[in-house]
Order: sequence, then structure tokens, then C-alpha cells
Amino acid sequence: MLLLAKTLAFHSYKGGTGKTSLVVNLGALYAKQGSNVCVLDYDFRAPSLNVLFKAKPEHWLNDYLEGNCSIIDTLVDESAKFNLRGKLWVGFSNPSLEALKNVMGKDRRWEVKALSRTLAGKKQIIEEKKVDYLIFDTSPGAQYSSINALAGADIVSLVMKADEFDLEGTKELSKGVYEALGRKSGVVLNKIPLEQIAAGGGAEKFGKTIEAEVGLPLVGMIPCMCELMAMGGKTIYTLEKPDHTFARSIARISETLRNM
Amino acid sequence: MLLSTTHLRIGRCIRVALTNFHILPPARYCRDPFMSSRSADSAVVDLLRKLNRNVEIVSKKIDKLIEVERSSTGHFGRPTVDVPEGLPLDVTTLLSLPDHLRKSAIALSSLGEATATDLSKETARVRAVESDYLNQLVSMGLIKKKRKGRDVYFYIET
Repeated sequence: MLLLAKTLAFHSYKGGTGKTSLVVNLGALYAKQGSNVCVLDYDFRAPSLNVLFKAKPEHWLNDYLEGNCSIIDTLVDESAKFNLRGKLWVGFSNPSLEALKNVMGKDRRWEVKALSRTLAGKKQIIEEKKVDYLIFDTSPGAQYSSINALAGADIVSLVMKADEFDLEGTKELSKGVYEALGRKSGVVLNKIPLEQIAAGGGAEKFGKTIEAEVGLPLVGMIPCMCELMAMGGKTIYTLEKPDHTFARSIARISETLRNM
Repeated sequence: MLLSTTHLRIGRCIRVALTNFHILPPARYCRDPFMSSRSADSAVVDLLRKLNRNVEIVSKKIDKLIEVERSSTGHFGRPTVDVPEGLPLDVTTLLSLPDHLRKSAIALSSLGEATATDLSKETARVRAVESDYLNQLVSMGLIKKKRKGRDVYFYIET
């Protein structure tokens, strides 16, 4: 089973690129299609999956990394809520202020344990829950928890907007982190204004320009949609509005990742 | 540039040597019938000067390459890693490891404690190769090993 399962990590240089929405919609889509999926909120500095799922789990991923419980104890089965063919388990990180302060105070000694527990936890989830996809949502930038998740991933997807800040930062991360970890990597362009795509010579040409700049293959491109900003954290489009442009973009990305 | 008599003599000697070894035609058979032996000598000296300048450039480049190689490898050619005190094998240290050692370190991080045989199954490498890499990590102070009966177990100290 370990060989068949795919571990995906979604990362970004900057925040606000839409990783969480992407992760949730992708995980939900795979589960809707019949795959067993586990989504882990590894954004310990700004947890948000608990908002969308309205979760109050008994154990947080923070508890697992502290060694206070098994990783299986942290997983909440969200499948029944959405009537999915496959399973959807979600591991949440603690959004309380106390937990956030605790995360900020961690030293390198603790991070060694955290890396080890992340890799061991991933293995346990895949073996015990028989998941087909394990998906990490991470904190932006070079955070320990994010890079721990990347180290455990089979495929790393960088989610970025196509502005100069993101481009330059992603190039640095690509050289210094993704290449070093030797993971299959790709770029998801998100929140791209239609005017920018048109100015770039159309979707295909624009995509190839970004690929050349960043040095990574394009996994998908999602145009900017204002209504998503208003509905962020409320709607899982791949389940509730499968014909929406965003949902169809996620479907294309899911196929690309499935085949990578 | 004016050449000294010494330069010209040296140039003439080299020209004669090259002619005797049939590398250069004799001066009287030179394509340029107006080129005197004195001009030929100075031409040889010019050529030698150019060669000397090129050798200096190549030598500096080689020195630079040696310097780069030394700074990225320690004694015996082993890669050096900036290892912090105490417990160093966090993800930032992992990123600084060469690929082959990083693969072993990540596999060991995942298993916790394992023999070279266990790890070779994770990394899909031959046991002897895996053992060598693990021992490199031990010598770098990044992991430890202990004996349990006949088996040697590698582990990360936490």
C-alpha cells in the first residue's frame, strides 16, 4: 500500500495564494471519486481547515508532534458529512493563541523530533487507513513544519500568483529547498487575472513563460475569481458546485497530479 | 615592444630546435621571404609570451577550482556539513546534505531506529552501499549507532 499511495504537499513562498482552498477541494474531489484521502493541516502558524470543516477534534496534530497521542487519534472522518464514495480524514492543527505561541517557541531539538514524527506519522496513516492520497497543507515560506512536510511528500506543488514577489521568491525556494529535497515538483498558478493571461499571449504561452522563469512544470492554472474570495472557508466547490470554473480547474489539476 | 638581445637569442635557439625537429620550416623556406631570422626569432618569443599568459590564466582557474572543491569537501573528500551542537539532524541540516546521504537520513528519520538492511529496503539500495552512507552520517556526528546482539542499529538521537 505504501508504494501505491501518493503524498502531495502544497506549499508557497507567500501567504494568500489559495493553498488551503486548493487542498480541501482537491482532497474532497479525490474522495468523491472513490479514493481514500487524508488531509493534514500543517499550517501550524495559521490553521484554517478547522474553520471550513467546523471541527473540534479531540486531538490536534500539535498533540501528535508533542508525542501526546498517535497520529491516527488526530484524524476526523469527514466522509459521512459529504456523502463521499471514498473516505476523507482530516487532521487539524490547533488554532488557539496558546498553541500558536507554543509553536513559535520551538527549538531545533524539537524540530528533529517533529521531522521524525512527521515521516513516521505519514507512514502510519497510509498503512492503517489504506489511503490513496495523503495531502499536506503547509505554512508559506521556509518554515520548519512546511519543509518537514515537503520532505515526506512524493510531489510538491507550489501555489503561486504570477507577480514579481511570488516569482522571485518561488525561484529561490525552488533552488534552495525543492531541488535539494529532490521531490517531483510543479507549479500551480492561482488567482491569475484574465488580463494578465491575455497580456502573456494566452493561457498556453503564459504558462510556458512561467515554467521557464521558475524552472518547474506547470501543474495547473486557475484564473482569479472574486466570488471565491467572498466564499473562502465556506464552500467546497468540487462537492457543492462541480460545474463552477474553479471546480473544473481543480479537476484538471487532480488529473495532472494523478499522472505525475 | 623592444626585445632585448637575450630575448632574441632565446627565440633563435627555440626556432632552431623547432626547425631541427621539423616543426618549423627553415627560415629560408618561410612563406614570407622578407621575414629575416631576427623577425622570426622575435615572432617565436611573442608566441611564447602569449603561451605563457594563457598558461597563467589556466593555472589561476585551476587554483580556483581546487579552492571551491576544498571548501565543499572536507578531509578525504567527504562532504562537510555545518553541524550545530547537540541534535543536528533537523530539516535545515538535511537540506545541506548531499543527495545520497539525505536519502539515508530521511529514511532513518521515518523508521526511527533501523539496521542497514532495513534502511536498504527503504532506499532501494544495496545493503553494503547503504551501510557505507550510514557510517558516513555517523562519522559526521549526525546519527548514532549501537549494537543489539549481532545487529547494528542506526538511530537519530532525540
